[in-house]
Amino acid sequence: MPSDSEHRPFIENISAYALGTLDAEESSVLEAHLQTCASCRDELAAYRQISGGLLMAIPPKAPPESLRQRLRQHLPSAQKSNHPRRTWSFNQLALGFAVVVLLALNLFSLFQMQSYQYQQAKLTREIQTSQIALAMLAYPGTQSLAINAPSVSGALLLDKDRSIAVLIVWNLPQLKNSQTYQAWLVNPQGERTSAAIFDPDPDLPFTSVSITSTSELSVFSSLGVTVEPAGGSKQPTGQRIFRIDF
Amino acid sequence: MAEPDDKELIQQVAGGNERAFLALYDRYAAQVHALTLHILSDPMLAEEATQDTFLKLWSRARLYSAERGPVLVWLLTITRRTALDRLRLEARRPTLSTADDPDDFWRVIPDSKTTSEESRWRTLYLAVQSLTPDYRQVIELAYYQGLSQSEIAEELGWPLGTVKTRMRSAMEQLRRVWGNP
Ligand SMILES: [Zn+2]
Repeated sequence: MPSDSEHRPFIENISAYALGTLDAEESSVLEAHLQTCASCRDELAAYRQISGGLLMAIPPKAPPESLRQRLRQHLPSAQKSNHPRRTWSFNQLALGFAVVVLLALNLFSLFQMQSYQYQQAKLTREIQTSQIALAMLAYPGTQSLAINAPSVSGALLLDKDRSIAVLIVWNLPQLKNSQTYQAWLVNPQGERTSAAIFDPDPDLPFTSVSITSTSELSVFSSLGVTVEPAGGSKQPTGQRIFRIDF
Repeated sequence: MAEPDDKELIQQVAGGNERAFLALYDRYAAQVHALTLHILSDPMLAEEATQDTFLKLWSRARLYSAERGPVLVWLLTITRRTALDRLRLEARRPTLSTADDPDDFWRVIPDSKTTSEESRWRTLYLAVQSLTPDYRQVIELAYYQGLSQSEIAEELGWPLGTVKTRMRSAMEQLRRVWGNP
C-alpha cells in the first residue's frame, strides 16, 4: 500500500482521468499506479459514476420524426419481408466454420505433400505448418496463440474483433467412448463458460475446433481444455489438458 | 406480458431483430439526440450523429455484455464518442458560451411522473448548472467537447495548473452535491 505522499499526485488526477481529459503521458502514469492501488481504483469508480451520470444528465430532446423512418431504411441487413434473417451470431458461426474448413483443407494438402516426412517431423515443424496455413489464409486481424503443454502442440487462432476463434491441436490422444474433450472460455474472475465439445479425428494428425461464445471473446482471458464425460459438463470436472492465455 | 428489458432487447438486436431495435430507439432516441445536440450545438450535425449512433447500435449490439453496465450508459458512451469524432471532423471551435437555455431549466424540474432514477440524473444536471462559470467551463470543454487539459489551458489562456485545480474542485463539488453512494 503506497503511503499518503506517494498517493497524492495520483489522487489529484483521478477525476480528470474519469472525464477522459487527462493528458496522455499522465494517463499512462496513473494507469500504472491503478494496477497496484485498490484505494485509487475505488476513487476512480466513484468519479466514473459522475462521468457516466454526466452522459445521462442532459435533458432529453426528441429528434425529428423523420429520423426513425430514415434509420429503418438504413439498417444494413434488415429484410423487410418474412424471410428468415441471418443473424450476427450465425454469421460468426459461418465465418468460423469457413475458417475451419479452409484451414483443414490447407493443412490436409500440406500433410499429404509432406506425409513421407511426417513421421520424423518435430513438434516445431508441425507448429510451423499450421503457421504456414495461417499465413495462407491471409486473414487480417487474426492472432495465433501457441499451446504450451508437454504432450500436445497447436495454436488458437483468435480474432477478437470479429469474435471468432479456432483451436488447432496436434497429437491430441484419442479418448474412451465415454469421454470427450471440452473447451472452456475463462473470464478474469475465473468463471468458465463451455465453448466447444470435440473429439479428435482419428484420420487426421490434428484436430480443429470452432470456439463459440454468446459474449464477445474480448471479455475472456484464457481458454482451457479438459476431459469430460461424453456429452460434456456444465462446469469443468476432469483433468486439464492445457490452457492458453489471451 | 411485461415489457422486455434493455438487455433482452439488445440481445434481440444482436440477432438482427428490427422491432427490438426500434423499441430501443423509441426508448432512448431523445437522450441520444439531446447529447449529440449538446456536444455539436447544430441540429443538422446532431441529427446525423444520432443516426450514426443508432446504426452503430445495430451493428455492434453483439459486442454489448452485461459487464459493461446498463445498456443506456453503453449507448450514451458510443453517442459521446460519435459526436466528438464528428466535432473534430468539422474542426469546430468549442462552444464557450455559458448561457443557460431557459427551456432546459424547466425541462429538468422533476415532476410527479419522474422516476427516482431520472430525478437523480436531473439533480446532477442542476448540480452542473449551479457550478460557477469557471468550473462549468472546464467540465464542458473536457467532457462534452473532448479537450485534454493542455488544450483547455490553451483554449482559455489559463495556466495548466489552474485548469487542473479548477477541474478537480468542480468534480469534487459535483460529487458532494450529487452525493455518492
Ligand atoms: Zn493510489
